[in-house]
Amino acid sequence: MTYKKISFEVKDKVAMVGFGYNCDKAMTVLDEETLKELQDIVEELHGKTSELDGVLFHSHKDRCFLAGADINLISAMKTVSDGQAGAEAGQKIFNRIEDLKIPTIACVHGVCLGGGMELSLSCSKIIATDAKGTMMGLPEVKLGLIPGFGGTFRLPKKVGLPTALDMILTGKTLNGKKAKRAGLVEEIYPVERILEYAPKHFKTKAKKKSFKDSLEEMATDNVLTKKIIFQKARENVLKKTKGFYQAPLKILDVMEAGMLKGRTSYLAAESQAFGELCVSDQSKNLQHIFFMVEGAKKYPHSTGAELPKLERGACLGAGTMGGGIAWLMANNGMKPIMKDLNPAGLELGLKQSSSNFMGAVKRRKMSFEDFEKKQRSISTQTDYRGFPRVDLLIEAVVENMDIKKKVFAEVEKEVHPKTLLTTNTSSLSVQEMAQALEDNSRFAGLHFFNPVHRMPLVEIIKHDGVSNETIEALYNWVLKVKKTPVVVNDGPGFLVNRILMPYMNEAGFLIEEGVSMKDIDDACLNFGMPMGPCRLLDEVGIDVGQKVAKIIHDGLGDRAKSSSLSGRLVEKDFLGKKNGKGFYLYDDKGKVTGANPEAQALFPKASKKMTEVEIQKRIFLPMINEAATVLTDKIVETAADVDLGLIFGIGFPPFRGGLLKYADSEGLERIQEELNKHAETVDKDRYTPCQLINDLVAQKKKFYEL
Amino acid sequence: MSFKPVYLVEGKRTPHAKAGTALKDIQAPYLGAYLVRNLLDNTTIPNDAVDEVIFGNTGTPAKYPNIGRVIGLEAGLHKKTSGYSVHRTVLQDWRPFHKRYLKIASGRSDIIVAGGVESMSNMPLIYSKEMTELFMNVMKAKTMGDKVKAISAFRPPYLSPIVAIEQGLTDPFCGLNMGQTAELLARELGITRAQQDEYANESHHKAIKAMAEGKFLDEIVPLAYGAKLEKLLATDVGPRDNSTVEGLGKMRPYFDRKSGTVTVGNSCPITDGGSAILFCSEEAVKKYNLEPMARMVDYHFHGLEPERMGMGPLHAMDGLFTRTGMTLEQMDLIEINEAFAAQILAVKKAFTERAVADKFDIETLWGEIPAEKLNVNGGAIALGHPVGSTGSRLLVTLAHELKKRKAGYGIASLCIGGGQGGAAIIENLIK
Repeated sequence: MTYKKISFEVKDKVAMVGFGYNCDKAMTVLDEETLKELQDIVEELHGKTSELDGVLFHSHKDRCFLAGADINLISAMKTVSDGQAGAEAGQKIFNRIEDLKIPTIACVHGVCLGGGMELSLSCSKIIATDAKGTMMGLPEVKLGLIPGFGGTFRLPKKVGLPTALDMILTGKTLNGKKAKRAGLVEEIYPVERILEYAPKHFKTKAKKKSFKDSLEEMATDNVLTKKIIFQKARENVLKKTKGFYQAPLKILDVMEAGMLKGRTSYLAAESQAFGELCVSDQSKNLQHIFFMVEGAKKYPHSTGAELPKLERGACLGAGTMGGGIAWLMANNGMKPIMKDLNPAGLELGLKQSSSNFMGAVKRRKMSFEDFEKKQRSISTQTDYRGFPRVDLLIEAVVENMDIKKKVFAEVEKEVHPKTLLTTNTSSLSVQEMAQALEDNSRFAGLHFFNPVHRMPLVEIIKHDGVSNETIEALYNWVLKVKKTPVVVNDGPGFLVNRILMPYMNEAGFLIEEGVSMKDIDDACLNFGMPMGPCRLLDEVGIDVGQKVAKIIHDGLGDRAKSSSLSGRLVEKDFLGKKNGKGFYLYDDKGKVTGANPEAQALFPKASKKMTEVEIQKRIFLPMINEAATVLTDKIVETAADVDLGLIFGIGFPPFRGGLLKYADSEGLERIQEELNKHAETVDKDRYTPCQLINDLVAQKKKFYEL
Repeated sequence: MSFKPVYLVEGKRTPHAKAGTALKDIQAPYLGAYLVRNLLDNTTIPNDAVDEVIFGNTGTPAKYPNIGRVIGLEAGLHKKTSGYSVHRTVLQDWRPFHKRYLKIASGRSDIIVAGGVESMSNMPLIYSKEMTELFMNVMKAKTMGDKVKAISAFRPPYLSPIVAIEQGLTDPFCGLNMGQTAELLARELGITRAQQDEYANESHHKAIKAMAEGKFLDEIVPLAYGAKLEKLLATDVGPRDNSTVEGLGKMRPYFDRKSGTVTVGNSCPITDGGSAILFCSEEAVKKYNLEPMARMVDYHFHGLEPERMGMGPLHAMDGLFTRTGMTLEQMDLIEINEAFAAQILAVKKAFTERAVADKFDIETLWGEIPAEKLNVNGGAIALGHPVGSTGSRLLVTLAHELKKRKAGYGIASLCIGGGQGGAAIIENLIK
């Protein structure tokens, strides 16, 4: 029998089953056809056990063993029983692999995730390569799912319950070396040798357990300790997810209840849970984000034109942002030049970069030697030495149009003709700044969020003169440094800050109306936001927020007006986290120690009790309204751009799928109705629904159907 | 064979810091790599066009047996650029320069980065021979019994370490420590303690003045230091503005405790630092549109009795003047390394006193070395002497000062442990 998706051959009494055969995609997935072929092959193997020494599963791809089940397959599931049946079909095949009478060995090289991992677990042994790209894990939880092909049943048997829970509940992956340490793989080899050495593992017996291992096993392998482990895991999950996510809790339910079950009844529970989760709103939303992120991995308007190579970097201004950007460049081998006016400024930048690196050193993600190499790859200077060699320059000097224009007019003469020149402005007009340059086709905004090493979003801001190649090169670069790009047109606050502004403004108005700061922040946290508006303003800097608010107000008119609250706080020098006092008080390490009583004395007495839902409406309705005008003004092209920007820019709760996805799911008619109601009772400027919402309601359409 | 001109395009150095202070945690290659990057950044020379990286280093760290190669790679040069290190046999290492000179002058190479780095803070303590043998025996032992037997051979004195730095600074031929060779010169030529202290004091005040006037700003590239590499060191740690002759006079002689004159105060301190110079051929200068600071005129090395190694500069300069037909008067600046005040005073003496010159078989009395030309920004007694780097450091300082003065020729010279001297003349091109 010949197969199209999987290669199958028998050599010297060894059956070789190879994935990624005849596949031109970078990643091989278990789609319908592949699963079918796999099933046939396994049955064929069952008929040949007497003539075979063993079976090797391997991959023809250089970077992928099996990336998991095809997500399109999962997202096509409409009902619980659909999902359950899908999981059962996979389970059956893997059970048949497990039941083979001859040894089976998964030879893992490259990505081995989800269904690929579950297949490996059903083999008698796993061996792996020591390659950097070899990673094994069960990331289903990130899509709001439970591994459905027996992963939760088999992984604990290989690596023990604590490690298995850690992997399944967080979705984290292990490389070859770590997988060996965890007991997941029996041995690691260089990729060139793995298939040659694999047959030796047909006969190896499980290694004698070390004293430490058997002690550990004794301690964990009894019902009582397992109960405690599950309880701890549950507490951790609740702490980390604040209870917003169903999948990890469901996983815990299945695994805990299945502790004493046999394979058949355990797997039935697993597939049942998979069916329930895969059609849940949460999982659908998380899948939606997965597809959005996948979609963003390619620049949509590529013309195939040759792009400038961005090898050497430079950053002007060495403050918190400048230092963060220098860190990013250094971490990506760009040997950046960091320029500032004086050594004191440069030291600030070095400090920022060092603290970013040291975080990784402390978490043992980086050796001190690597840190030293990378930190020292930053050239610190006050002159333009080396600038003719720079390919990508990011400006992060003070937010002042005149100064920035002067800087660009000057630096344009120092760099080579193809150097991309970008500004990290968060609020100034890129269109206007572009006028300072002679050749502004290579100029654009490149807006990082603070802190650079934590925030995944980068806004790429266009202006009339910019070339498509410039945007494409920047887009690719942002992806290369593992951030998420969103291309936006120029406008006050660009994309994220513009939609974020009502979040902060409405908090101000609510406080003025006598609603307590705590109620406001709590309502937003309970909605799923990572920080309440008051806490967020402290983080950004209340003075910075005030400045940006003014620019957006000037640009957008009275619907973006803000209360006088920020002004009063700034007057008293309550600037937020940076000077330890804002809405809240902070200790030396930047941790909140409590509300700031002096600031609260400036507010009206907190006398008004408002329901959590009403506070949420007050805050999120104008955000939805603003997001709609962003689409009208063509700041971005699609609703997905808005949602991607907000999820990665401000941590809008992923389980809601994004702001506009959320609006769509609530129903635009209801949104319009609520906006109108608030326009009457609260403020006409801020709540009158925009034209786009009215139009969509009239046409019975959604944001995602635009 | 006719030689082609060799250009010193630009030179830079690290700030110097007394061993055990600001730069103590920095491994030697990092004292050079950023300088190389800084030098090349000022040019359009592509990273694969450098022919060779040559670095001097004396206390070669076990981790970096070929520092020149590590520096080239860390600086971001193309991996095909060859790199090597010269070390150990010479103390003040000038080998990179004559190697480089010959390579470019003979047309073999067009672009070479040369320099030196020395982290004397990181010079190791070495186990004694007995202890090393014991370790070997333990490792060789197969059974537990053998191991115990091997370990039982241990005696506490085995643990007394050999200080690599001390051993490195002791001449293997005559057995004298460098300081003792200076003591010998002081004794034989009648150089007094007071003269030495006065000279040392002046070195400090010249250096302090130069720092106050920002003289080193162009030659020093600030270096990140500290446990988290978040601080920048831009000035030398060593020169003392509160230095006085009286203060120096109170120090005890170090090498001859009873009747000696050489103290820690009138010798150069043990120091961490590095320096690097970009050298190019005329073709490369034209091709990359470079503006060299100086042209290399010639160099000379000379040997002498190891126990009087401090007179190395006398022989080297004498040989160089003789070969080039140039004279002391033609030199606008003179940099002689201040290993010891006694040693540099001895060299000065041999330039003016017939009897001293005769003692060292020098024919010409080259004349008084004018104070206003000699080590004008202070010398190693104040600035320190990172041994592997000093040769290039002198050239860096000399080239920058000649440029500032819009002057003509300058000579740099130093003594070399083991009984040698080196000297080089450069001509300033930026006037």
